[in-house]
Amino acid sequence: MRGFWPIFKRELFSLFVTPLAWVVITSFLLLQGLHFFLIVVNFAAAPAEAVGDSGPVQAFFGQTMLLYVPLLLVCPLLTMRLFAEERRSGTIETLLTAPVGTVGVVLAKYAAALATYVVMWAPTALYIVILARTGDVDWRVVGTSYLSVFAIGAGYLALGVMTSALTQSQLTAAVLSALVISGLFFFGFAEFIVPDGPAHDLATHVSVWTQMNDASRGLIDSRRLVFDATVVLLPLFVTVRAVEAWRWG
Amino acid sequence: MIEVERLSKSYGAFRAVSDVSFHVERGEVVGFLGPNGAGKSTTLRMLAGFLGPSAGRIRIGGHDIAEEPQLAREKLGYMPETSPLYPEMRVREYLAFRAEVKRVPRSARAKAVERAAEEARVDDVADVLVQHLSKGYRQRVGLADALLGDPPVLILDEPTAGLDPNQIREVRELVKRRGKDHAILVSTHILSEVEATCSRALVVARGKLVASGTIEELREMRRASGLRIVVRGDAPRALGIVRALPEIAGAEVDAGHAPAADAAALVVEYRRAEGGAEAAERVVAALVGAGLGVREVVPRAATLEQVFSELTRVDEDAAEVQA
Ligand SMILES: Nc1ncnc2c1ncn2[C@@H]1O[C@H](COP(=O)(O)OP(=O)(O)OP(=O)(O)O)[C@@H](O)[C@H]1O
Ligand SMILES: [Mg+2]
Repeated sequence: MRGFWPIFKRELFSLFVTPLAWVVITSFLLLQGLHFFLIVVNFAAAPAEAVGDSGPVQAFFGQTMLLYVPLLLVCPLLTMRLFAEERRSGTIETLLTAPVGTVGVVLAKYAAALATYVVMWAPTALYIVILARTGDVDWRVVGTSYLSVFAIGAGYLALGVMTSALTQSQLTAAVLSALVISGLFFFGFAEFIVPDGPAHDLATHVSVWTQMNDASRGLIDSRRLVFDATVVLLPLFVTVRAVEAWRWG
Repeated sequence: MIEVERLSKSYGAFRAVSDVSFHVERGEVVGFLGPNGAGKSTTLRMLAGFLGPSAGRIRIGGHDIAEEPQLAREKLGYMPETSPLYPEMRVREYLAFRAEVKRVPRSARAKAVERAAEEARVDDVADVLVQHLSKGYRQRVGLADALLGDPPVLILDEPTAGLDPNQIREVRELVKRRGKDHAILVSTHILSEVEATCSRALVVARGKLVASGTIEELREMRRASGLRIVVRGDAPRALGIVRALPEIAGAEVDAGHAPAADAAALVVEYRRAEGGAEAAERVVAALVGAGLGVREVVPRAATLEQVFSELTRVDEDAAEVQA
């Protein structure tokens, strides 16, 4: 873990002095604002009996694609720079010759991306506050939803960190992680297409859609959290090995 | 402080460094000398712990770089060849970050940054963004980085490449000053640099150590030389007379440079470098005594450059023979 704190701070610094993070966060928030607006307008227009027991919070987190499709883009953009750029510019040489541990370096970079991700979501809490002032909000749903958003993002970012360590080009890293993340996402989608059987079960297991749908009803499946943890730990492990392997190239 | 034993590195089938061993002690500045592609940077990168060796052991400040990498790296200030820096940071921010990564205690950090910046003469650009620095300044920021926290071992990869003459002098002085109580290894392909700063030199070519010695020993090779002498009269006879002298290792007619129709230029090699002045006298006396006219006598001092290319060429010939 040596070197974690200074590297974490430097990564955050670099993310926020370059325009990229701001562009990503602003676009994301504009999109989510629009998303929220559409949902509220929709609910306002709908007759009360048609809405049933599902409220706008449930709809926001569980029933539209607009929530995670941006993540397929945002996560690669937040992580593509982390290792690819250091290798392209050669700064990796100064970084790895300082008394730091590989695990510390990888975790620091990952944590910086994760912190940015959290910052990116934070303003959406405002929507919940707005809803809470005009009607009832199920706080359990809010909690499980945000937990799931965090867990899913954590996995996607870990995949992004991994692809960033596999290439020297930011663009390649971004495209690669977007492919991997989309692959995972659409594989989960297969639960609606594939007939019952092991493939269907597997797809259900990794399905982000179902996870968010459950979460938006206040449900958390612990098996799913195990899966999310795997999607975090496995890529990070691969990253640590990759960084160590550069020394032997 | 730096101990290297039988170090080798292969990139795939290509052997960039083979079987290199040397030591650098505290109070020494050692030049690591070799032509382009000799394997200097590869060796230094292994010493700094950036590349893993294919074989061999490295100890920095008593710590084996494979067994205690972080302890070894803590003792080390390393300046890579290309001075890679983060463009979006200001010089001061960058050095502060490096000081923290290098575990300079918080209370000493500001002071360490200031001191290193002053020593490497980057204090006047402390608030400039790295991306706006000129190449020379970037180089010096890399040097300041290496000096941070005053590590006992310094490894500098071509620290003066790309600097202006004033800067080169300042950096050389800095290295000399630090060399009094540090162990310093400086790579370069410029011989005068080694003469100016180092107490000892290691010469590498094609990944192998081909010579090592003090600067005096290198200079010694430089004096190993001879004469160029222009004689009027019978050139073969002159050759015979010169070759018969005990001080002379060999003599040839410099066919490419006939000075005049009735004269020939001889290139004479001394047997021993030390006897140079005396030998010159004997050669001239013998020729004049035999009735030959001596028109020109020019001592031939091999430059360090020649010594160097001699050393590295011998190795290349050997490599060709092997291949
Ligand atoms: N990553 C690499 N992969 C393959 N070959 C490499 C790699 N790095 C260096 N080499 C080769 O190893 C040899 C030694 O390179 P190195 O950079 O150590 O030379 P150098 O002595 O520092 O030269 P220069 O004076 O030009 O800096 C060169 O032939 C180079 O092409
Ligand atoms: Mg080099």
